[in-house]
Amino acid sequence: MSNPQYHSRREFLKFCGLAGLGVSAPIWSPDAISAAAAEPAPYEGPFYVVFNASGGWDTTYLMDPKGVGEINRLYQEGDILTKGSHKFAPTAKHVQAGMSNEDFYAEYGSELLVMNGIDYSVNNHSPGARYMATGKLDSLAYPTFAALVAACKGPTCPLSFLTFGNYSNTGNLVAMSRIPYLPSLQKIANADSIEGNLRSPYQDDFVLDRIERTLKEQTDATISRTVLPRIEHAENMLYAAQLNSKSLARVTPYIPAKIPKERLSQQVEIALASFKAGVCVSANLNIGQFDSHANNDRDQMNLIPEFLAGMAYLMKRAEELKIRDKIVVIAQSEMGRTPTYNKGNGKDHWSIGSIMFMGPGIRGNRVVGATDEKQMSVPVDPATLASDKESGIRVRPEHLHLALRQYAGIADHAMSKQYPLVVPEKEKLVGFWG
Amino acid sequence: MIRIAPHHPAIFVVPLVLLAAASPAVWGADSAATPAAPVKAAAPYTGAACGTVDEFFRDEVWTKVGAQKCLECHKPGGDAEDSKFILQDPSRDADPERRTSLLHNRAAFARMAARRTDDKSRLLVKATGGLEHGGETVLKPDSMGFRILEEFVRRLSVPEGTPAMTAVTLKADSRAADFFEGISMLENRRLLRRLTLSLAGRLPTADESATIEKQGLKAVDLLLDAVMKEDAFYERLAEAFNDIFLVRGYNEGAESALSYDNFSGSRLWTQKFDLSEFGDEAAQRKARYKLDADYREALLREPLELIKYIVREDHPFTEIVTADFIMESPYTSRGYGNFDEIQERFRDTKDPFEYIPVRLAALKSRDVKNNQKTETGFYPHAGMLTVFQYLRRYPTTETNRNRLRSRMYFQHFLGVDVLELAARVTDAAAVQAKFEVPTMQAAECVVCHRSLDPVAGLFQDYFSFEGVYGPRKDGWFKDMFGPGFEGEDLPPDQRWHALQWLGERTAKDPRFARTMVEHVYYVMTGRKVLLPPKTIDDPLFDAKQRAYQAQRQEVERITDRFVKANFNLKEAFKAWAVSPFYRADGVTTAGTNPRRMAELADVGVARMLSPEQLERKVAAIFPRPWGRLKDSQTALLYGGIDSQEVTERAADPSGAMGAIQRTMANDVACKNVAFDFATEPGKRRLFQNVEPETVPGEATESDQLIRQTIVHLHQVVLGRDDAMNSPEVNRTYDLFAGILEDAHTRKGIEPLENYSCRANGEPRAKDPQYTIRAWRGVVTYLLRQRDFLYE
Repeated sequence: MSNPQYHSRREFLKFCGLAGLGVSAPIWSPDAISAAAAEPAPYEGPFYVVFNASGGWDTTYLMDPKGVGEINRLYQEGDILTKGSHKFAPTAKHVQAGMSNEDFYAEYGSELLVMNGIDYSVNNHSPGARYMATGKLDSLAYPTFAALVAACKGPTCPLSFLTFGNYSNTGNLVAMSRIPYLPSLQKIANADSIEGNLRSPYQDDFVLDRIERTLKEQTDATISRTVLPRIEHAENMLYAAQLNSKSLARVTPYIPAKIPKERLSQQVEIALASFKAGVCVSANLNIGQFDSHANNDRDQMNLIPEFLAGMAYLMKRAEELKIRDKIVVIAQSEMGRTPTYNKGNGKDHWSIGSIMFMGPGIRGNRVVGATDEKQMSVPVDPATLASDKESGIRVRPEHLHLALRQYAGIADHAMSKQYPLVVPEKEKLVGFWG
Repeated sequence: MIRIAPHHPAIFVVPLVLLAAASPAVWGADSAATPAAPVKAAAPYTGAACGTVDEFFRDEVWTKVGAQKCLECHKPGGDAEDSKFILQDPSRDADPERRTSLLHNRAAFARMAARRTDDKSRLLVKATGGLEHGGETVLKPDSMGFRILEEFVRRLSVPEGTPAMTAVTLKADSRAADFFEGISMLENRRLLRRLTLSLAGRLPTADESATIEKQGLKAVDLLLDAVMKEDAFYERLAEAFNDIFLVRGYNEGAESALSYDNFSGSRLWTQKFDLSEFGDEAAQRKARYKLDADYREALLREPLELIKYIVREDHPFTEIVTADFIMESPYTSRGYGNFDEIQERFRDTKDPFEYIPVRLAALKSRDVKNNQKTETGFYPHAGMLTVFQYLRRYPTTETNRNRLRSRMYFQHFLGVDVLELAARVTDAAAVQAKFEVPTMQAAECVVCHRSLDPVAGLFQDYFSFEGVYGPRKDGWFKDMFGPGFEGEDLPPDQRWHALQWLGERTAKDPRFARTMVEHVYYVMTGRKVLLPPKTIDDPLFDAKQRAYQAQRQEVERITDRFVKANFNLKEAFKAWAVSPFYRADGVTTAGTNPRRMAELADVGVARMLSPEQLERKVAAIFPRPWGRLKDSQTALLYGGIDSQEVTERAADPSGAMGAIQRTMANDVACKNVAFDFATEPGKRRLFQNVEPETVPGEATESDQLIRQTIVHLHQVVLGRDDAMNSPEVNRTYDLFAGILEDAHTRKGIEPLENYSCRANGEPRAKDPQYTIRAWRGVVTYLLRQRDFLYE
C-alpha cells in the first residue's frame, strides 16, 4: 500500500471517483491524490508539445548535415552552416514556404538541444513510431510520453492529452482527446447551455446541482461494490470525463477569431487555447508525408520548412499568450532516410535519426551524439555525453524516454512504474538536459 | 513447494499428475523416427500419454521460449528452415488443441536437448549463441528462458527410476479451475437488450423478452437468427467491418476506384446523365448533386455490401477471399459500364443502393495491348482481395512494392500483424548497408520478408495507378522473394489469377477461420483479442497467460463451430453472444487479489458506445435520434473514425466527450420529456403512469406511481430491472422530489417549460408545478450514466 491513508485500493478508487480522477484500474497513485479537488484548479504548466514529422524526416537536411558521399544533392560539405554549437544544412534558397533552417537556428539555436545518431533499431513506420513515442519497442501497451506526462500531471484536466495523429497509445492511463478543428472547441465549451449560449441554460442551476450530486452518489455506490476491473475503469473514466468537462468553459476566451491556414498552426492554436485555459498538459502534433521514397529533396524541402514554421508559430503565439516559458518542445520522427538516393531520386527508410528539444531547464546551444560520414550512429559515453566509438553506447529511444521522464519529474510516479523502462544504471544519460 | 526459479517461484511448475501419467512410449516412438541421438536414460518425464502434450512443455518451454524465441526462424519458410531444428507453427494447426504441432515441437526440442557438444546439451549451447547459431544469442544464461530450457534438459536426463518429483516442486494445473469462477453473468433479459441494441439498433420486443425469460440462453440462437435477418443488422455489420478493413477510407474520391484506363468512358456517367425530367437548370443542378453524392456513396459501400451479401445469404464466409463476383448497384454498374447487361436483375433501377452480385468481364484497357488476359474471359475475382476499393485503400508504390497490401492481407485475413512486435536489430543500419538486398540476405529482415514478399508478388498485376489493374512496366522485382504463399511458389501459368490462387489457400488456412471469429469478437466487444504475454519475468505473467489461454480456448471452440457450420459467420455471432466472455458482468467473490484482477483485466464488455451506436440507441428509446452525432466533425470529436487519418475508435471518454455527453443528455431530455407528456397516455414511451400534476409526498398512491415511472425509466433508458424500493430507484426518486422541493422555494420561476424544449414548434408546455422540468432532470441524469452510454 503506497498511502496509508487509504486502506484499500477500492477506497482509493472511490476517492478518485469522487474527485473526478480518470484513473484506470491498475493505477495506484498517491501523487494523483494531491491533485484531487472538488473543483479542479487550472493546470499551469509546464506544457509538453511533441511535434511529429510522420513518415521519416531526412535529418541530413536539418540538424545532422553531411554533404559528403552523395548523401545530399542540394549542398556540399563546405556549404554546411553553424550557429553556436549547432551545425545545420543550408536550405534558405530552396524554401518556397515555411521557415528555413537559417532562420530557425538564428531564432532558436541558443535554446535548442539536438541529439543525433539515435538508433531506432527498426526501419518500419509503425514499430518506429511506437518506439519513439513510448520508449518501448516490444510492447503495444505502453503509453506515449505525452500521454504519460498528461496522466501524471493533469489527471483532472478535461483535455489532458491532446493528439492530432501519429502513435497515441495511452496505456489506459488517461483519455485521449481529439479536437480536429478550432470551432470544435467552441462546441464543447458550454455543454449545459443551449447552443453553447451561457444565457440559455438547459436546466436551472439548482436542477443541475441536484443532478451532479446524484450522479456522484450513483458512482460512489457502483465503485463501492466489487465489480469487474473493466467496469470499474469505465465508471471512473466516465464520471471524470463529465465532471471535468465543466472546466472547458475556460477555453472560450482563448479560441482565436481567425483560424490559421497552415496545418500545424491550426493544431498549435487548439493546443495553446487548451494550455492557456489550464485544461491540457500535453499535445501530440503531427504532419505527415515525410516518407520521401520518391523525390526526397523536393518533398523534404517542402516539409521541413513547414515543420519548423509550425514550431516557430507555437513559440511566437505562446509568447503572445505569456506562456512561452512553460512550453516544452520535443520534435521527432519515427526514422531517418538512407544516406543514398534510390532510382526514383528518393530515399528509403533508415534506422538512425535525430531529435530536438527546447524548454525550461533544457540548456540549449548543444548537440549530443553524432553520425559518421556514412550516416552510421557514433556511440556515446553516457557519463560525459561525448562520442566514444570504442566503449560508448548506442542511444536508443528508451534512453531518451527515461531522461524525459526524469526531466518531467515523473520517473518515480506510480504510473511510470507501471510501464518501466529498463536501462542499466551505467547507460543512463548523465546531465543530458544540461 | 521447492523453488527452482528463485526470483519467480510462480514459474517452473507442472502438475504432478501429468508427470506421473507421462508415457515414454509416445515420445520414444516419435524420437525413434528421426536420427537424433538418444536420451541418455529413460526418464519419467518424457511427454504425455495418448497424444496429449505435457504441460511443462506446453506452458513453460513452448509458451515462454519456443513460441517467442525460436519459431520465427525455425519453421518451414523461416530463415533457419535448412537447420535440423524445424518447428511447426501452432497457429497453422487445424487441431483446436494444437496437438499435432505441439507434439512435433516437443519432439524437436527433445531431440535437440539430447544432442551433446562438449557434454552440454546443444539446445542450451545454441540458445546462448554457441555453435555458430544463425540467430546468435537468443537467451542470456541468467535469463528465465534459459533456466526453463535447463530444466527441460534436466528432466529429460533424469535416469529411469529416479523420483523426479523430489527434484522439482510442482503445483496444480492453474487452468484446471474454471476461469469464470466467482464471476456473475449478465441476466438473460439484459443480455437480450444488449444484443438487439448492439446488432439491430433497437430494444427487444415483448415477445423476444418473453421467449428468453421462458427458455433462457438456449433461446439466443433462435432470437439471433431473426435479428440477423433485419436490415439494421446488416448496416451494423457493414459499419463494423469497415472499422476492421477501413475500406471506405481511400483517397482521391470514390470514383477513383474505377481506373481511368479501364473505365474512362463510364466512370463519370453522372456528368452527362439526362436529368431534364427535373425541370429547369437549377432543379437539374440540384438533382445532379444528389446523383453524384449517391453514386459516390454507392461506390464506397460496395466492398461492405459483399460482406453483407455473404452473410445474409448464408454463404461460407470464405467467400470474402474467394467470391467470384463483386456487388453492383444500378448506379455503380453504370460506372463499370455494364448497366445495360444487368439492369433486368434490379428491382428498382433508380435505387442507388440496391446491390446484386455481378461477375465482371476481363478488364479492357484504352490500349488493347494492355487488356487483361484471363483464361475465363472474366475478371479473376477473389472476394475482397480483388475489389477495386480495397486495392485503392491500400495502394502501392515503386518502393513499397505491394508490401503494404501484403501486410494488410496478413492482418485482415490471417490475423498476423507483421509489424506488431518488430524484432530489435543490434544495428539495423549496418545490416542495411552490409547487404545488397537485405530483405533477401539479412536474417533480421528475411524473417518477415520471407512471408511478406511472396504475397506482395501475388498482387503484382495490380500495380498501375497506385494499384488498380496493370502490371509493372519493367516486370516484377527480381530482388524480392518470388510470388507465392508460405513456402509454396505460384506456378507461372497461374499468374493470371494469382489472387484467386491466394484466396483458395487462405480459405483453407486454419488461421483464416480463427481470424474471422476474432473479427466477430471485435465487432461485438470493440476490442481485439488478447496477445500472448511476452515478459516472462513479469510476476503476473502466469495470470496474464491464463487469461490469454482461456480466451484462446474460447476462440478455438467458436472457430470449431464456425468451421463445422460451413463458415457461416452468423454462427460466430451466436456463439460469442452466449460466451461467458460476452456475458461476464460482475464479481461475486469478494477479496480479489492482484493475480485474479490481472486475469480478469480484459473480461466484460463495458464498451463505450460509438457515435453511430449512441445515435441508434437514442432513436431506439426515444421517438427520434439526437442527430448531432451524425455530423462527421462532431462524430470525430466523440471518438469516431474517418477511415483515413483517424482509424481507431476512442475507448475512453475525454473531457471533450464528457461535454458532448452532457449536451446530449440535456438536449435529448429537453426534446422528449414535454413531448411525451403531450402524447396521449396510452402511446407514451416514458411517462405512462404519471401526469404533470402527480407530485411526490401528497399520497401513497401518487408516490407509488412516481416510483413505477422511475422503474420504467430505468428499464427503458438503462436496461435495468430495479425494484421499486431499491437504492437506485430511491436515489432517482430523491432527485425528482429534491428538484421539486428546490423549485418551490425559489421565486420567479416561470410556469412554462423552456422554449427550446419544444420538439416540433408546438406551444411551450405548461409546467406550473415544475414537474415536467423535474422529470427532465431525471431523464438527463439517466442519460449520463454508464448503463446508457456504454454497452
